[in-house]
Amino acid sequence: MRAARPIVQGQVHQDGVTLGYELFGAGEPTILLLPTWTVIHSRFWKLQVPYLARHYRVITYDGPGNGLSDRPLAAAPYHHSAQVAYARAVLDATDTSRAVVVGLSMAANWALELAATHPDRVAGLVAICPSVALPAGRTARSDHFGPLDPLPELSPSAVPAGRRDPAAHWAKYNLEYWRKHHEDFLWFFFGQAFNEPHSTKPIEDAVGWGLETSGEVLVAHHGPGSYPDEATVRHWCEQVSAPALVMHGDIDQVSPLARGRLLAELVGAQLVVLEGSGHVPLARDPVRVNRALREFVDRLM
Amino acid sequence: MRALHPDQSGYVDRDGVPIYFEVFGAGELTLLLVPPSPITHSRIWKALIPYLARQYRVVTLDGRGNGGSGRPTETAAHTRAQNERDIVAVLDATGTAAAVVIAHCHANWWAVDIAAEHPDRVLALVAIEPGVPYLGLPQPHWVEAARRWDEVIEDATGWELCTRHGIVNEHRKWVEFFFGAQLVEPHSTKQHEDAVSWALESTGEILAAGEEAADLDPPAREDFERRCRELGVPVLVVHGDRDVCQHIERGRAFAELTGGDLVVIEGAGHLTIAREPVRVNRAIRAFVDRLKGPDVKTQHWTRGLSRPKRVLYVSSPIGLGHARRDVAIVKELRKLEPDLQVDWLAQDPVTRVLKAEGETIHPASRWLASESAHIASEAAGHDLHCFQALRNMDEILVANFMIFQEVVEEGLYDLVISDEAWDIDHFWHENPELKRGSHVWMTDFVGYLPMPDGGEREAFLTSDYNAEMIEHVARFPRIRDRAVFVGNADDVIPESFGPGLPKIREWTEDHFGFSGYITGFTPPDPRDIEGMREELGFAPGEKVVVVTVGGSGVGRALLEKVIAAYPLAKAKLPELRMLVVAGPRIVPESLPSHDGLEVHGYIDRLYRHLSVCDLAVVQGGLTTTMELTAARRPFLYFPLRNHFEQNFHVRYRLDRYGAGRCLDFAGTGPDEIADAIVAGAGREVSYLPVETDGALRAAELVAELL
Repeated sequence: MRAARPIVQGQVHQDGVTLGYELFGAGEPTILLLPTWTVIHSRFWKLQVPYLARHYRVITYDGPGNGLSDRPLAAAPYHHSAQVAYARAVLDATDTSRAVVVGLSMAANWALELAATHPDRVAGLVAICPSVALPAGRTARSDHFGPLDPLPELSPSAVPAGRRDPAAHWAKYNLEYWRKHHEDFLWFFFGQAFNEPHSTKPIEDAVGWGLETSGEVLVAHHGPGSYPDEATVRHWCEQVSAPALVMHGDIDQVSPLARGRLLAELVGAQLVVLEGSGHVPLARDPVRVNRALREFVDRLM
Repeated sequence: MRALHPDQSGYVDRDGVPIYFEVFGAGELTLLLVPPSPITHSRIWKALIPYLARQYRVVTLDGRGNGGSGRPTETAAHTRAQNERDIVAVLDATGTAAAVVIAHCHANWWAVDIAAEHPDRVLALVAIEPGVPYLGLPQPHWVEAARRWDEVIEDATGWELCTRHGIVNEHRKWVEFFFGAQLVEPHSTKQHEDAVSWALESTGEILAAGEEAADLDPPAREDFERRCRELGVPVLVVHGDRDVCQHIERGRAFAELTGGDLVVIEGAGHLTIAREPVRVNRAIRAFVDRLKGPDVKTQHWTRGLSRPKRVLYVSSPIGLGHARRDVAIVKELRKLEPDLQVDWLAQDPVTRVLKAEGETIHPASRWLASESAHIASEAAGHDLHCFQALRNMDEILVANFMIFQEVVEEGLYDLVISDEAWDIDHFWHENPELKRGSHVWMTDFVGYLPMPDGGEREAFLTSDYNAEMIEHVARFPRIRDRAVFVGNADDVIPESFGPGLPKIREWTEDHFGFSGYITGFTPPDPRDIEGMREELGFAPGEKVVVVTVGGSGVGRALLEKVIAAYPLAKAKLPELRMLVVAGPRIVPESLPSHDGLEVHGYIDRLYRHLSVCDLAVVQGGLTTTMELTAARRPFLYFPLRNHFEQNFHVRYRLDRYGAGRCLDFAGTGPDEIADAIVAGAGREVSYLPVETDGALRAAELVAELL
């Protein structure tokens, strides 16, 4: 059973894509919880929504490719500017002039772009474990990164058996692999994302959400324009005027802490370093994340 | 001693009336603290200033008629307008364009006027127990007093004293009654003494003039209410709900009219700034921080299971003994918990020991107000009234507790060990919601005892302090997860905490674990003594007497007297050699010298000399005397006059061990000291043995919580 039920479930239609959104609570201000990479859907906010909705008005929605939204197989709907257009469409549909915008991982791009290009809509900006094209040094992931490489020959993930996968399995971040071994990729990826010990439940949740879409959708999402380059990100950072908060786990294997640190510096954000946390502290450290969000939002008021 | 001294102070002349001000700290934002004069002055803010000044620039002033300011006596000199011009003049004199005004009682009326008439000078208002006209409910005794102000009431008592005649002629009686009525909280003796003494720096005539002037030319009710509604600055009201000066409904109405926040302190009276300083400090800080906007800074938080085990150790800086035994406990703890991280919140002289041991001193330690300097400032000659010294340390304890609390809130500590860190134990009991981590309380004595010279008053005060401590522990057993008595149950003095209170020993046995004594070092094996003496340069046949007064500056009188005895003793005992250790706070060259007498400022690891000497001459502190007992050395000790711990607790313990010869400083001249030295040097002793596993036993008691 869900801990909090939406007051409104609705849909917006933007550029031919239908997106589902949900609205919770009635306080001030509105918190817009962005979707992230379409490998999971908006249920990943499940440990935040009930708490935040007791104090604020909270909106979640799914981007194209998963959850309550369409699953287009073309690249254009996944372009970063399209993603920002969806966010605005959801704000408009819910009659929200201004919101605190919160993004996990890849969604930090969309939050930044929205704050940079539509400052009147963004009262505050929160980036959690941002995955943006700012330099962060070498990582296991970058060492084995080859999404367009031929299909790698790798053993199945050990994560379902409760073990860890070797770093070399980052080669599974590969379009051909997603097409052929979608579920195995999910186990591998979420084993990396939830690298804190005792993370079985969040891994199962995330794999389950991942299976609500397909490898083909992930391939489409990887098309041109989905991941803005460093110059674009830096340009947005310069334009952001809203108060900002960055939270980042120091054992994040998907996007290293150095990136969050740099982003915080570029936008003048407060930085909360979560020591011992991986890429999705929302799930593994919900209490700390909830309280940090609340503290940030309350200070804006 | 004050917990914090001003960085700047001065006077601004207001038509011949000097107005005294002080400036503390250097933050960008200024807080102006306005006391309700002339009944009190700026010292009423003493529990707030050190904390607030760490973050902000703080300006205080003494209102006309009290403190450092001038004392005009005519009513016309005490009008609201005069007081308001004083406040603005202090803003000008201190170069303060605008400030957050924090006012108590009727000073809030002045603050409202200034905010209305000089809107650019007031950023926000913190109104503590606001005394403003018309709003909420009046207190009936004030209404009655206003009605009979001009009457002469014979043998007046209580509120009847509040007439012009009563205040002028019975000034002390009135202020004693008034503050007694305000301090509704039990155990408020110190706050009462303070408030009365500040009031008595003014006169009855001035106070009466102030009362008369306050009510001149009052604004119409609707004009004042409009002024409140249109104040246009953020407001925080703090109000005790048992306030008998300003009714809580007044604070409530003021908050409502001004759109302000209201913090009601339940169970508190009119003087929350003195009686609930921790809560008030935190309320002000939260309010002002919100005005200032977010601080952009990095926070670190560690997942529970990723945390190393961490201890914050707070060791009392009064004497060096705590530091040594605490280091010994930590060494044993690390054997039990090898990956343990220990941070020390510590000040001089504890930090000297910690640095030598390579321990980690928390950087916030640099902000601590000096307890040992305070104790030294309370001593005179061979006299230290340590109970009163502790009472007078109240503002230092609040200041240091506020620092401690920030450290535990940021530090994610598993455990706090407080070795006679009175501030932590007291204020966690007073503010139990602030406790973080487990807490081990450690002490080597329990119970304040009155010195006979203090009479009934001191007997009452010590029992009142004991009663508060006993109530604290009974009401909040969760604050001390473990209490460790450094010693054995038999060491606890079989006295009472006071009339109607338990026996100290029984109560201590019920509420403490016992570690045995902790020496901080292992006394030498008798077979090693000759070798050690040789190593330390003691010649064969020499009788070495070591004279030491520990780490405080209190010992000069004793050193001088013993030095005067040296030639007399040397004449009778030619093999005598005397080593005098002056300690860090006494310059060796400032002491008299004699041929053959050695005076040292500091001797590394002095306990080695003490443990193989032929005789020691010391004060009555527990650490040194027990180390001598453990090392089975003869010694003479002189308890500090008026020091209840040395005269009762330590002496009782030493008597139990059959150790040392107690001498009264005032009644013992150099001749008698010389005789005692000659008689005692090299004497065989038959003390009870002192255990050597105290540090381990204490560590085991602590480790159960880790």
